[in-house]
Amino acid sequence: MSTRSTTERIGEWFSGSLPSPTRGVRKLLSLVGFVAVWWLFYQFGVLNFEHFVSPWTTIVEFAGALAGQPLTEGGNTIYLHAAYSAVRVAVGVGIAAILAIPLGLVVGTSQRWESLVYPAFEALRPIPPIAWLPIAIIVLPAVAIGSVSIPLSALFVVFIGAFFPIYTNTIEGARNVESEYRRAAESLGASRTNVFRHIVLPATLPAIVTGLSLGVGLGWITVVAAELVTGGPGIGYIIIQASRLLNNQAVVIGMIGVGALGYASSALVVALGRWLTPWSET
Amino acid sequence: MSEHDTNDERTDADERSTDRTDRPDSAGDEEVRSWTESSGTGTVNIQDLTKVYGTDGDELVAVDEMDLHIEAEEFVTVLGPSGCGKSTVMECVAGYLDPTEGEVLVNGEPVDGPDPSRGVVFQENRLFPWKTINENVRFGPQMRDSVDEGRIETLFDQMGLEGFEESYPHELSGGMQQRAELARLLANDPDIMLMDEPFSGLDAMTKELMQEKLLDVWEDDDRTVVFITHDVEEAILLADRVVVMTARPGQVKDVIDVDLDRPRDTNVVTSDRFNELQRRASESIHDEAERAMEQAEGRA
Repeated sequence: MSTRSTTERIGEWFSGSLPSPTRGVRKLLSLVGFVAVWWLFYQFGVLNFEHFVSPWTTIVEFAGALAGQPLTEGGNTIYLHAAYSAVRVAVGVGIAAILAIPLGLVVGTSQRWESLVYPAFEALRPIPPIAWLPIAIIVLPAVAIGSVSIPLSALFVVFIGAFFPIYTNTIEGARNVESEYRRAAESLGASRTNVFRHIVLPATLPAIVTGLSLGVGLGWITVVAAELVTGGPGIGYIIIQASRLLNNQAVVIGMIGVGALGYASSALVVALGRWLTPWSET
Repeated sequence: MSEHDTNDERTDADERSTDRTDRPDSAGDEEVRSWTESSGTGTVNIQDLTKVYGTDGDELVAVDEMDLHIEAEEFVTVLGPSGCGKSTVMECVAGYLDPTEGEVLVNGEPVDGPDPSRGVVFQENRLFPWKTINENVRFGPQMRDSVDEGRIETLFDQMGLEGFEESYPHELSGGMQQRAELARLLANDPDIMLMDEPFSGLDAMTKELMQEKLLDVWEDDDRTVVFITHDVEEAILLADRVVVMTARPGQVKDVIDVDLDRPRDTNVVTSDRFNELQRRASESIHDEAERAMEQAEGRA
């Protein structure tokens, strides 16, 4: 035992000659490792991290936020901010899906529609979603919910962010349907409508789910970016407001909030995908 | 100008009416159909079939003026080296491709697109992965609003698929997937079965069992089978006639009548007559296979 060096033992561990930890343990290790790196940076002042906050105070503050302590001036809790952002993401991604899926299916299956629609959208696609914000602020009205006036511009930016990944994935999926499935269906007596319904649509579903998953991810990225500009309530607003007030603790809580919500919503999309494609092998 | 057009139309219409009176029974659709049935549905007539892929300058002649007549209820195997255009011929009969020249007549009528009376089995399994075995098998009848529960049940029994109704294709073994695909085809009761190297992906044992299964199915019902293969033994074992194709551009090189007794099983391959036929087919295809290989190397 003493004759073996540490490096040898680490090598053995990686090569699997030692029993490797279970999947659950490894997942936990990933989180523990992340917190450990954060703590080390804070403790030893790597990159000025000593001015930042330690993981331990963050955990305490985060627990307080979860218990309903107001996070920002005005007394709004983390739940209210999260709810505003979540609704923006859900509605924005939802509208994007409702428009992008049918459009992608049409463009992916019909050459006539492809030449009609594809070039214009390809020109719009490279524009970063957040660059749409100035126009959105001018064009879109704010809606009043109770006494609060909510601008629709952040929601529009989410919509743009989610639209393109769903749209392009749907197109790719529809284009890549094996022609022999189509042929098989035709030889079994399927009409054009039935080929679309029974072949093209289910064959494209996995790609659509991939698009949705990317769309939701971009939805969270864009909602925070937009809220930084448009203001709150919203998680992005927590971050920018706390930063202005030099409240690093609230900044970190906002970041963790976005991370957790993004993680939860991508798990939701994965579950939706499993339910929609029960035949898939994975 | 307009007068000229009308003239053309009239000539077309005249020709069509002449066609109709040429038939023995022209009184009504039903009688016409019964006449074709009495002569046996399932004849395939390939006339002067030429298929060219690509456009000017970069053309590939896959099939060149091929002629072949297949009788109703006949089992024909098409044997040819890879890339000889045998799949192209099948795709023209199936109605997936339009011939560049010549035509394919099925029951005397030109093929116009795919039709459930011409069932197709592909080289790679083409069960719909998103449908259960049950949904796959009843897909054809469902599309035509004519689901016959008894027939579906018999097919599950005949193909040994009971208990797998709710499984998805990927949960089945290769042989079982192939049987399910055969069941899906038979559920539609096609007059003609077009099979493009359907067993080439199976292991030797499974392949043998599938060949016997196919012979059983064919002997039970009256169907025409056009079976494409590059396996000489398989070609002879199954067929009434083996059509040997040349290397590209594909043409009929040789037609070998297989006079082995039916019903056959895989034991027939040990008989002297089988060996004689196999030698003949092998000799016939040998030069073509060599040419096909040279072509493939030239392209690479």
